[in-house]
Amino acid sequence: MRETILSVGIDIGTSTTQLIFSNITIENMASNFTVPRIVIVDKEVIYRSNIAFTPIIENNKIDQSLIQRFVEEEYRKAGIRKEDTQTGAVIITGETARKENAEEVLNALSGFAGEFVVATAGPDLESIIAAKGAGISEYSADNSATVVNLDIGGGTSNLAVLHRGEVIDTGCLDIGGRLIKVHRTNKTIEYISPKIQQMIEQKGWNIQVGQQATEALLQPVVDEMVQLLKQSVGVQEKSAFYETIITHKGLKDHKQITHISFTGGVADAFYHGAAGDVFIYGDIGIMLGQALAKSKLAELFTIVKPKETIRATVVGAGSHTTEISGSTIFYTDTIFPIKNIPVLKLTSAEEQIDESMIATAIKEKVTWFESEGDRQNIAVSLQGKKNAKFQEVQTIAAGIAKGMEESIQAGYPLIVIVENDMAKALGQALQSLVGKHHNIVCIDSIQVENGDYIDIGHPVAEGSVLPVVIKTLVFH
Amino acid sequence: MVNETELKSLIENILQDMVGKQEQQPEQVQEEVVAQATAEATTTASTTCTVASDACLPDITKVDVKTELLVDEPYDQEGYLQMKQKTPARIGVGRAGARFKTATSVRFRADHAAAQDAVFSYVDEDFVKKNGFTAVETMCANKDEYITRPDFGRQFSEEMKQEIKAACGTPQVQIVIGDGLSSAAVEANIEDILPAIKQGLQMHNINVDNVLFVKHCRVPAMDVIGEVTNSDVVCLLIGERPGLVTAESMSAYIAYKPTVDMPEARRTVISNIHSGGTTPVEAGAHIADLIKKMLDKKASGLDLK
Repeated sequence: MRETILSVGIDIGTSTTQLIFSNITIENMASNFTVPRIVIVDKEVIYRSNIAFTPIIENNKIDQSLIQRFVEEEYRKAGIRKEDTQTGAVIITGETARKENAEEVLNALSGFAGEFVVATAGPDLESIIAAKGAGISEYSADNSATVVNLDIGGGTSNLAVLHRGEVIDTGCLDIGGRLIKVHRTNKTIEYISPKIQQMIEQKGWNIQVGQQATEALLQPVVDEMVQLLKQSVGVQEKSAFYETIITHKGLKDHKQITHISFTGGVADAFYHGAAGDVFIYGDIGIMLGQALAKSKLAELFTIVKPKETIRATVVGAGSHTTEISGSTIFYTDTIFPIKNIPVLKLTSAEEQIDESMIATAIKEKVTWFESEGDRQNIAVSLQGKKNAKFQEVQTIAAGIAKGMEESIQAGYPLIVIVENDMAKALGQALQSLVGKHHNIVCIDSIQVENGDYIDIGHPVAEGSVLPVVIKTLVFH
Repeated sequence: MVNETELKSLIENILQDMVGKQEQQPEQVQEEVVAQATAEATTTASTTCTVASDACLPDITKVDVKTELLVDEPYDQEGYLQMKQKTPARIGVGRAGARFKTATSVRFRADHAAAQDAVFSYVDEDFVKKNGFTAVETMCANKDEYITRPDFGRQFSEEMKQEIKAACGTPQVQIVIGDGLSSAAVEANIEDILPAIKQGLQMHNINVDNVLFVKHCRVPAMDVIGEVTNSDVVCLLIGERPGLVTAESMSAYIAYKPTVDMPEARRTVISNIHSGGTTPVEAGAHIADLIKKMLDKKASGLDLK
């Protein structure tokens, strides 16, 4: 049994907006004599859009109608109808995520692009998606290496450290190619971002909006950016300005890193260099890429060539956001797709095989999610127990049912995400407690954290698995 | 020479010393006791050989081979261990000259012994009684006959058939447990898999009350039970031929209206049910759904696809 799911990825970045379609193939890898084990066996990008500039209008807003027109046009060119897409993600990244109407545009667009196209935002997710989209995850697994990927776009540099295929750390810096904009014909400086302005002032450089841009004039800024990036991967002592340039957090530990790769628009200038006008894109992206190539970074680490550079994030959004649940799961039908459900995760200390302990922990945490007395729909997440006994499953189920009783009474579906393989038995136990007519979704083999959101799509593979997108929704 | 009583009192003394050390794990305490007792015994009888009859060596079968790397100075220890996580095969065992290390060869023999025990031992009668199963047996007189005459393991005497009929009646779904080639599998899994199946079926208003336990059971014995009880679905949970990875693996053979001499293709099989494979509770929940599907589609095995 092989089945192909069509997925769309849309990336609305600081400088560019892109779209891709990819085919995700799933297959039952188990023999006929065991329970099914359905896994993703292949991901293939089947269509790549033009790379368009992200349309920004007055008042620091994104031009939603222009983006919708772009998306519509690309669907038409690809010959794909919106109804055909089964999954996918729209990600709003870099500086664009800070625009006033970012959330509004994102939600409108995810609905516009297809029924189960999910809205995502957040610097950590962006770092992970870019690294996966560039094939760095496979590289680090195949070569048993620890790779740091720097996705340097227009507004931010998203860092992800991958160790043997697993993401172990992420970070984000406000460094990008489009933080200084230059007029394409008369070469005057049109824009300097606030943090770069601060840097210029601190250093006492004479660089202002309206001035004629030359390579010599802007070289100190670009070199300083490179210094900060070096600091971010731990090859140089951190300066005072490092804390300022961090978006929300930097990398924690750099000792293990042996390899480095670059993605994002700036990466092309790093890997291929560039001839001619450095301001051809109306920004300092090419200068930054060239400065990185000359920097010590290339000597201190083994350079990895990513599969994607400028398209890493969009490929990641289209091909690497959708996971599939374990194959022995429990759900009642007709409630899919479920979108934007916040995750309530129990800590391992709270997660004892003890009904009242689980119930109390859940009840306490549920209050975190109550915004203005509005009871939200919440997914309860726990690690579960490896090879749990039947009685233990009953106890956990009773704890969850009790902890979520108010939400159950309010008629919300009971959504439970468990890491270890026990969802079918747990779901059955829950059903026997809350009754046959209450909607329940209980899935396993999915790892989530507090602060994550989950989207669950229509069942695939003859109903045996559910497509799941774990994501963040962070707007600055 | 320290005799048994002396050694016992030694251990008692040490245990009393340790009452205050409650934070310690019981195994730890035990280990320490044995170590101390041995040490003291050795000092009191330094020239003679000591027999510590109550002491025991650590159980080598408790070591998880997936986390045990025996290669000396591995080039990439983390990578090796990661590889070992993916397979129960005995890789990364190192060597002593051209041979296995002692730990590997002893473990191999221990696992082999467990496999043999699983075949040649019987499911405890108390276990059958405690769970309220109706105990019946095939035509095999003993284990030897069970091993050498597979045909007897799939037949019941007329009296037995009457007994089965009396005990079961004609339920919609008949659950049968068979010792098969691993009694250890039955005792390890049944108490988790059976309630999971029952709970799943109850959701569909299907009750399974009378569970049969068949001694000296081969898979096709379920066909006879199907004919005798006239059930729609018979589900046989049977111990699998043990291997060196586990002796506790169980299979479920499920068929819609099984009949004697029916094609094997009519059986649906869920194998590899044990703590390291498909866990018994998940397998049970899955089997319940499978049985419901068979009842709805009136088919099993390849016909169910």
